[in-house]
Amino acid sequence: MSKKNEPGMAYNMSKLNKVFALLSIIFLMSTIWVFLDDYLRPWKLVQIEAMKIKKNKLTKDLKKEVGSIDEASVIKVENDIKEGQSLLEGRQDQLSKADQELRLTLKDIQDETIENGKLNAQISAIGFQQGQAWAHHHKEKSDRLYAKMTTKKNLFAISKNKLKALLVKKKAAKAHLLALNAEVLEGEKTLNELISTRELLKKALAKTKIDPLWTFRNLPFIDFLDPTLKIQQVVMKNITDDRYFQHVAKVDRCTTCHTLINQPGYETEPNPHRTHPRLDLMLGKDSPHPLKSIGCTSCHGGEGQRVHDFNSIAHTPENEKQKAEWIKKYNWHAPHKVPQIMYKKSMSEAGCVKCHSDVEWIPQATVLNEGRKNIEKFGCYGCHKIKGWEHKRKPGPSLLKISSKVSKKFFKSWVWSPKSFNRHAKMPSFFNQDNNKRPDFMNKNIAEVNAIAEFIWSKSKTYKPFMRYTGGNAKKGKELIGTVGCMGCHGVEGFTAQSKKIDAYAGPYLTGTGSKVNADWLVSWLKKPSHFQEDTIMPSFRLSDVEANNITAYLMSLKNRNFEKLSFEKSDKVARDQILLSYFSAFDTVNVAQAKLDKMDDRERVLELGHRSVGKYGCYSCHNIDGFEGRSPIGPELSKVGSKPLTQFGYSHEHDVEHSRDGWIQAHLLNPRRWDNGIDKPFKDLLRMPNFDMTAKEAKSITTALIGQVADYVPVAGLKRLSANEQITEDGMKVVTKFNCIGCHQIDGFRGDILAHFEDDLNEGPPRLVGQGHRIQTDWFYHFLGNVKPIRPSLSVRMPSFNLTNDEKNKIVAGFQAKSNEKVFEDVKTAVVWLPGEKVGAKKLFKSLDCVTCHSGGFNNDEATAPNLHKVSKRLRPSWVRKWLTEPQAILEGTVMPSFWEDGVSTDSEIFGGNAERQIAALTKYVLELGLK
Amino acid sequence: MKEIINWMAEPIRSFPTFAILFFLMLKHYKTVGTKKFAYISLAVFFPAICWFCADPNFIKIILWPDNIPINILIITITFFTWLTLYKCAENDNRIEAGQLPLEALPENREKVWSWPNLVYTELFMIIACTIFLIVWAIIFKAPLEEPANPTWAPNPAKAPWYFLGLQEMLVYFDPWMAGVVLPVIILVGLILIPYIDTNPKGNGYYTFAERKMAITGFMFGWLVLWIYLIIVGTFLRGPNWTFYGPFEFWDFHKVEPMYNVNLSEYFWIKIFNTPMPTSLILREIPGIIITVIYLLMIPPIIGATKFGKKIIEKSGQIRFYIFVMLVLGMTSLPIKMILRWLFDLKYIIALPEWELNL
Repeated sequence: MSKKNEPGMAYNMSKLNKVFALLSIIFLMSTIWVFLDDYLRPWKLVQIEAMKIKKNKLTKDLKKEVGSIDEASVIKVENDIKEGQSLLEGRQDQLSKADQELRLTLKDIQDETIENGKLNAQISAIGFQQGQAWAHHHKEKSDRLYAKMTTKKNLFAISKNKLKALLVKKKAAKAHLLALNAEVLEGEKTLNELISTRELLKKALAKTKIDPLWTFRNLPFIDFLDPTLKIQQVVMKNITDDRYFQHVAKVDRCTTCHTLINQPGYETEPNPHRTHPRLDLMLGKDSPHPLKSIGCTSCHGGEGQRVHDFNSIAHTPENEKQKAEWIKKYNWHAPHKVPQIMYKKSMSEAGCVKCHSDVEWIPQATVLNEGRKNIEKFGCYGCHKIKGWEHKRKPGPSLLKISSKVSKKFFKSWVWSPKSFNRHAKMPSFFNQDNNKRPDFMNKNIAEVNAIAEFIWSKSKTYKPFMRYTGGNAKKGKELIGTVGCMGCHGVEGFTAQSKKIDAYAGPYLTGTGSKVNADWLVSWLKKPSHFQEDTIMPSFRLSDVEANNITAYLMSLKNRNFEKLSFEKSDKVARDQILLSYFSAFDTVNVAQAKLDKMDDRERVLELGHRSVGKYGCYSCHNIDGFEGRSPIGPELSKVGSKPLTQFGYSHEHDVEHSRDGWIQAHLLNPRRWDNGIDKPFKDLLRMPNFDMTAKEAKSITTALIGQVADYVPVAGLKRLSANEQITEDGMKVVTKFNCIGCHQIDGFRGDILAHFEDDLNEGPPRLVGQGHRIQTDWFYHFLGNVKPIRPSLSVRMPSFNLTNDEKNKIVAGFQAKSNEKVFEDVKTAVVWLPGEKVGAKKLFKSLDCVTCHSGGFNNDEATAPNLHKVSKRLRPSWVRKWLTEPQAILEGTVMPSFWEDGVSTDSEIFGGNAERQIAALTKYVLELGLK
Repeated sequence: MKEIINWMAEPIRSFPTFAILFFLMLKHYKTVGTKKFAYISLAVFFPAICWFCADPNFIKIILWPDNIPINILIITITFFTWLTLYKCAENDNRIEAGQLPLEALPENREKVWSWPNLVYTELFMIIACTIFLIVWAIIFKAPLEEPANPTWAPNPAKAPWYFLGLQEMLVYFDPWMAGVVLPVIILVGLILIPYIDTNPKGNGYYTFAERKMAITGFMFGWLVLWIYLIIVGTFLRGPNWTFYGPFEFWDFHKVEPMYNVNLSEYFWIKIFNTPMPTSLILREIPGIIITVIYLLMIPPIIGATKFGKKIIEKSGQIRFYIFVMLVLGMTSLPIKMILRWLFDLKYIIALPEWELNL
């Protein structure tokens, strides 16, 4: 407001204009900034990088292809073409005449087509008019139009005929022209065969070039038209995202950066350009999970729609090292507000569970199956309901007759600290843990354990062993344990290395048995396990009395002297009454509770506390205990734990635990009581999840299996639904898992834990079952499961007799059949029908191949090393025998059965003129006939 | 030190502190309204703020994109408040010395063309604001969050920044009061100001001495009751709407001991040790009496004082009573806050049966 200004002006105008100019420039710049900010997306650079990588590979491929092309033949063909062309020059007149004729014909065809079309339209129109006239009874008009239509129809017929003639003419003209050009065309065809791959590669390579057109298409402002750099996406019909108000088709834009993920050949490139490591299983066109219908985040988790930076997708680093790397490289931070972050790479198999929900084992999901194996081993499903595990039996042994099996003193010390008796014990530790180590808590715990023992004993039924231990040879017993097959289910002291290799878990690790049970009980148990417990899965090995006594002798020699020396402290009555009071006063005043307590005598108090404690610690969840039938398991359900919001996981003061679902679960599995650290809690509220002393590896595998248990809804069309056959297979395999058949038998490549013991010669171990449903006959199999008899005389390992119900037997038989896609019965003829001369040949063949050397059973008295052939017709399916004879190695790799017809060539060229097929057919018939006689 | 600040920041201490500072500021406005004071304050506060920002929890909450407007608000309000006081002090000194206020000088009363003096400069401001908004939008990008899930609300769930004062009021009042009645009174009160305030002094020029009560009253409502609550609601309320000091980590599990009791419960159970009367009116009678006294007795009492008489004389009965009722409405907020802090008072009148809680 200085006085220099003109009148009526507060400001100097030229100064105002300058300010305006300055502001305008800044405004323009900020507008440009907006567009640049929008244009510069991180994924564009990634796509350019991928293009370069692709270019490099194509260049290499092209080079290789060029190298593999025989240049001389290319030159030869090119010369041929040149020669042909010079020939053509001689035929110039003919050629131009033929060409002219073809062109004229084509012109005529075009002309006639027009005429034809016009007539067709007119006929249709007149037809309509005539129809109308006729319908309205205008007879005269109708007749007139009819006549007109007839004329046109005639004309149309003539035209059509002309057209046909012209087409014939055209064909002839074309053929003539081709014949004149024959040499050149032939040469070009040959050339094309030689160089087509090269040309395709060249074309592909051209697409990776950054040329002016490419640049133009991707310029800012222009790039809305048809850019080459653009967001790529997969929209899945059958898998949805929960948007809370509705489910919408899942959209994954991961391929925007992972451009080469489904193209083979980039396996060694750094991410994001790497090919998926399992294209055969995932993403590949012919794989069961094609990219187009399964996408990426369906399995991996994360936010597939987001592409604006590395973090938004919720990439999760595998470990601290990768985390540090990502922070440096991508400015990574923990994702927030993402319901399902990406699974860590090593846990990505968790993603399988969502769709494959009906099966116990998911083929090829090794990490997940390992986790499920460990869930089975530790019996997590006993206390925690998990969807898909409801059919499992209680993981612990029944306590209905426990008083006749172990002493009360043993029981108490065992419950107090199972690991100090057997460090492989699957029974977890409830006491002396981080949160109940305090002397006053210990005192109460001791009172509880004493009471539990009294209670269980009061409920336990008596049992009298049916056999007496008469002494045995421990050394022979040990040998027997090693050979007969105990180790498919049990680890055994004295076989430390083997036990570790086999890692059996269905039964307890046998150590200190002599300090646990008495010899009479043990020998009876070994002879007939179901005598003690009807529903046991422990089978009978059909041991002779001597064998049973020998094994008993060995097992009874395993003592745990230190454990025997332990004496369990007496219950502190004050502590006992305090606990009871706290139970009674839950809904009553202390006085009422005290009065209630006063009315009880000592014994009643102990039994009451025992009953309450069994309920408190959930003993009944794993063990059958009289009086607790039908109680729901003690732990929270885990069916949807993979979707539980992170804020609902109680971290207490444990700030060093990783803030993720899997971080919490893993920490919880390794030390379930840690969340009580530093928290003041009354005795009754202490955390009760016991400590399994599992290894970090086991905890991780269980975590992987658990975080897959998500609440996500998958439309039925997106789920893996079992076919009728697959369902029958699954039902059968569930029984197989229950009785731990897979502890010994490898079924189509799955498990067969004990085979680790027979690494040197797999044929010494239990037979591997490959295509078992195709191999054996239904009725034989069913019969066999109920009446096991040795088949392979040379094996010392025994197929035991299981206590199977009819239903279970049926399920196993049907399961194997369905697994091999076989019908129940194969046409087994009662009598073999021979072709003329076939039987003589078969006999000769049987002799010349010397089958009896191994399959001696029923032929001579030599020791047989292979199954008795006289039983084949009852046991095996003819079509399988043929397949087996043709190529035994294809069915059972490493079998001792020789391949007589390797690659379809017979070793015996005389019989049937060396025709392998006829030989095999004849031999099959021969073997089948052996049994029919 | 940080712990002391955290402790001091709790509303129970920071509200009185803020209020006292406010009155001190107005009392010594001639000292505050000098350039020297501004420079000294800047010299003191700038390093202090830098030190604050070195704290990870502080910087996190300050730079949270949603909170940027509040930072701007604090800076601009501080500056403009100071500027007002500076101008007031300048003019008041002149008036004391018998001179005209600066705005009333002849050279400042000269008239200029609205084009280009006004319209052109307004265009500048439009452009400048647009630039500012663009740059702001680029730097603090709107976040892409998870799909809205009605069963999983964000914690803390915060209103837009300009409503955070109201949300903070919800801590002390029933939603009906904090969400409907009080905002209506505020709006109506603001609309009524020109009709109530007929005093011509201070029109067109800055002055404090001539309009002491008007400025004090308005600024108290504005700075202490509105801006302060926004600041608390923005920076100091974390998960579960629990109070967190400026340097405190927003631990989801923080628990505050809060057990609020109604006045009627205090009256019948604690003092008289008798069962609550079944009649609703009788039950709430102490609160009703207090409220009636507050609303109906205080205005005439004020009117009878010398101060009240002077106002009535100047502006008339109706204006006076409307004015007093508005002021009482405003002061009900600090009164309720203080009662809550001192006595854990939940409601003065608790009639949830009638949706009427005060």
